[in-house]
Parts: sequence; C-alpha cells; structure tokens
Amino acid sequence: MKDIYILAIESSCDETSIAIVKNGCKIESFTVLTQMDTHAEFGGVVPEIASRMHTENITMVLEETLNKSSITLEEIDAIAVTYAPGLLGSLLVGIEFAKTLSLIYKKPLIAVHHTIGHIYANALEKKLQFPLLALVVSGGHTDLIFMEDDYKFKILGSTLDDAIGECYDKVARVLGLKYPGGPNVEKMALKGKPIYKMPKPVNDSSYNFSFSGLKSHIINFVHNEHQRGHEICKEDLACSFQVTAIDEVVRKVELALKNIKVEQFIIAGGVAASGYLREEMKRVADKYQIPLSIPEMKYCTDNAAMIGAAAYPLFLQNKFVDFTLNAKSQATIEENE
Amino acid sequence: MYTLFIDTHSDKIIVILYKDYQIKIKKEVETDHNHSITTIPVLMNVLKEENIEVIDLKEIIVVNGPGSFTGIRLGVTIAKTLAYLLKVPIKTMSSLLLKATSFSHEEVRIVEREKNGVFLGIFNKENHLIGEYSYVNNSEYKKEDNDIENITIDYEKVILFTKKLESINPHIVNPLYVKKIEVQK
Repeated sequence: MKDIYILAIESSCDETSIAIVKNGCKIESFTVLTQMDTHAEFGGVVPEIASRMHTENITMVLEETLNKSSITLEEIDAIAVTYAPGLLGSLLVGIEFAKTLSLIYKKPLIAVHHTIGHIYANALEKKLQFPLLALVVSGGHTDLIFMEDDYKFKILGSTLDDAIGECYDKVARVLGLKYPGGPNVEKMALKGKPIYKMPKPVNDSSYNFSFSGLKSHIINFVHNEHQRGHEICKEDLACSFQVTAIDEVVRKVELALKNIKVEQFIIAGGVAASGYLREEMKRVADKYQIPLSIPEMKYCTDNAAMIGAAAYPLFLQNKFVDFTLNAKSQATIEENE
Repeated sequence: MYTLFIDTHSDKIIVILYKDYQIKIKKEVETDHNHSITTIPVLMNVLKEENIEVIDLKEIIVVNGPGSFTGIRLGVTIAKTLAYLLKVPIKTMSSLLLKATSFSHEEVRIVEREKNGVFLGIFNKENHLIGEYSYVNNSEYKKEDNDIENITIDYEKVILFTKKLESINPHIVNPLYVKKIEVQK
C-alpha cells in the first residue's frame, strides 16, 4: 500500500505545533513552539495572548517543519487539525490555517479531538493493541477509557470535579510554586515524605475520580497552619498530595485491570510526563502482566505528532470534514466514533 | 492580475476579487460572531464564480484591525498563510484607513465603533495617519465635527490606495489590536 503522509496542526492551548506523520506512526518532521515562558509571567495561560501568539508564529512553525522534511506540501495526503476541546480563539487559528492549506493544495481536511490525539500518541511508538484500557490524565481530563478498536471508545469513569492536572496546578499555587505547576510540585515532592494525613478522594467501586476534596483540604490546611503560625514542610506536603492523588488513580486502574480483559494498558495526557505516575502505573501493569505503553516525554505534552497519529484511522475511513468546520471548547470523545 | 481583499474585522465579512484593480466580485456576509464557518467558504465561492483557482491570486490585501479580536485574527491568519504559500505580496490596511480612503480632500477623524467603545484615528487629506490609533470607552468618547463614523466605502478607491502601500513579509503580518486586554493594563 502507498505510504500516507498527514500534515497535522495543534493549537488548542499554548503550544503551536505542526508535524508530518507517515502512516500514523512514523514522524517525518515535527516542530513545537511553546509559549510557556510568556504565560509564566501571568501565572497561567492567558487565552487572548495564546491566540495572538498562534497567529504570529504559525507560518514560521510551518516553515521550520517543512525545512526539516523531505516531503513537500504537494506530496501530503491530508491536513489534520485539532478542533476540540481547548481554548476557542487558539483552536480557531489552527483551524483557519488548516483550511487555507487544504484550499490551496486541494487536500482533504481531518478534524481531530485533542484527547484522542493524546491516546494515539501511544501509536507513535508501537501499533495499539486492542482491546485496550487508556488512562487520560491532563489539566482538563482524568478519564479511564476502554477501547475495543480504533475510534471505539467507552468511558468507564471520569473525574466528578477537578482534573488531576488542574489539582496539581492549584496545589502549586498554594505552595507558592511557579507556572507550570505540575512539574514543579513533582520536583518538590521528590524531596519530601508523605507524612501529612490526606482525605481519600473517592472510596467507592466505580471508575470515577474526585480530587476537589483533596484540593480543598490542602488549601484549608495551608491556610489554617499559617493562621496558627505553624511552619509547614512544603516538600512533605507536596509529596503527601502526590502520593494520595496518584494512589487513587492507581486504585481505579487496578480495579479496571482486574475486571476487564485487555491486551494493552496505555497512558496519555500531560500528567503522563510525571515520573511518579509512570513508576506506579508500571508497577500495576506488571502485577497484572498487561503490556504498558506511555508516550515519550515530548509526546505527552501537547504536540501535533499525536494529532497526525490520531488522524490516520480517520483517513483510512474517509472521515473528512468540509470548510464549515468550527472550533468547540468542549466535545466528548464518543461523538468521534 | 487578480487581487484578493479580505475584511473580517466586524460581523460583516467582506471578500472582494479585483481583476487589474477593478472590482470583479464582491461578497458581503453577515456572520453573527461566526467568522470561522463563513470566511473560507465565501472565499471559495468567489473563486468559483470567477472560475479561477487559488493559485491565480497574485496579491493579497487584508484588513488587520482594529475590530473583533477573533475576526481579525482569522482574516490575518488566512491572508498571511495564502501569501506565504502562494509566494505573492501581501499588504495590510487598518479598518480606519479603509474608511479614510474615501476622504481625500480634508482632514478627518475616523471612528470605528465596537461594543464598549470606539477606535479613533486622525487622517490628513493624503490619508496618512496623524499620531497613533487610540481606543476610548463609550463614556469618554466626545463627538467632534470632523468625525466620520458611518460611511459607504468606495472599494475602487481602496484598491487604488493600496498601490501606494509597501508589501510585508507574510511571517510578520499581524493583527492590529489597539485595545489593551485586562492583563496588559
């Protein structure tokens, strides 16, 4: 069969990224321009600034991607773009850019869901083995998903309130750590011990998660100790939080692996870059002897290579969209089946 | 020679195809805050009506604001991508200059209204901006005698005026926001 080259674009938050992916698995060329330093000044992503920077940089990111590739735009088979979920203004820049490319080169347009992109980041390493269990952990998601086949999703459980990444960011703020909070909490936790008592998130037998109780507990605890003039050991608190939050995820994953027969367990999303989470998941997967896949660090955070990988099954099914494609800030993965 | 003009700074998207600096096709579409689903389809229809391909465009003119932040971002993103990939010159003009080109005999202050305030720019009779663009809230805006707000734009004059403008490297073509956002204040 002829090789299929997809040019993929990701601009859902604060990374402008373009990649050329061959057959949904091999990266021909890949560029990520992160705006992290700009947003760090404001303590978090400022949506309007993120959108502005995408418009400023997108043609340059394309130029760099093409310069690193032996494939030309004429040789591309399709253009893929993240359409949801994310910051509307940011998504729209990527979408209009993708439509313009599609218009000029007469290439079909593929709309990719960002979370599905994170899942398919695992296909960049090795073909996905179905049925599989996917754990999606990011700033916007904490989901356990069962996949019977390509684009056949069943959400087993989700967070009932905050996403785990969001919770990391909040704890970072309480501890006075800079944006991006997650990696900084983890660094601090490495130096501490889990000595503080934390409330257990959701002690039930569902596959759902809840982190708001844990988050509120930490906010109140820091506030109360401060009021009483007590010193808190930030390292120990970061460690106690991390152990409690990840343990809860481990417990739910273990429950799923015990009850559902799968060929593979995969992890996706920004929090998959966490070293502690990776270690713990490896331990559980080994216990149940299920092959584990975690993307390389650079494909855990937002990137276009994963969008190219997720677009490939859609290309094979001729699932193309027209120029009325619009951005959506929210969208379920199930609507993509 | 075909020139494409794109204006998405307001709720009314305007796409014009000029042939040798004469208007061939002009489309005006009300968007109701939905520039994304409208702009490229309108552009496609314009090309189809004239029976030309996108590669036949030899020059791009884009209105880069001020106006709707999302609107100008989309128009500019499309325009700079077209210019970069087609390797054709791109020129920008502000939404205020667009109105000013219809006044070549007197100094005017152009008013571009948005929800909470107005963008202002003073132009001399050669249509050159005097000083800088500004934004004032509705409550601070005091109407002056030479203020021009609602006019019918003469798009033949617009294209003739663009001949005097320098083309810009597409990578550095960007929206003109003028209004500060909350975190910048």
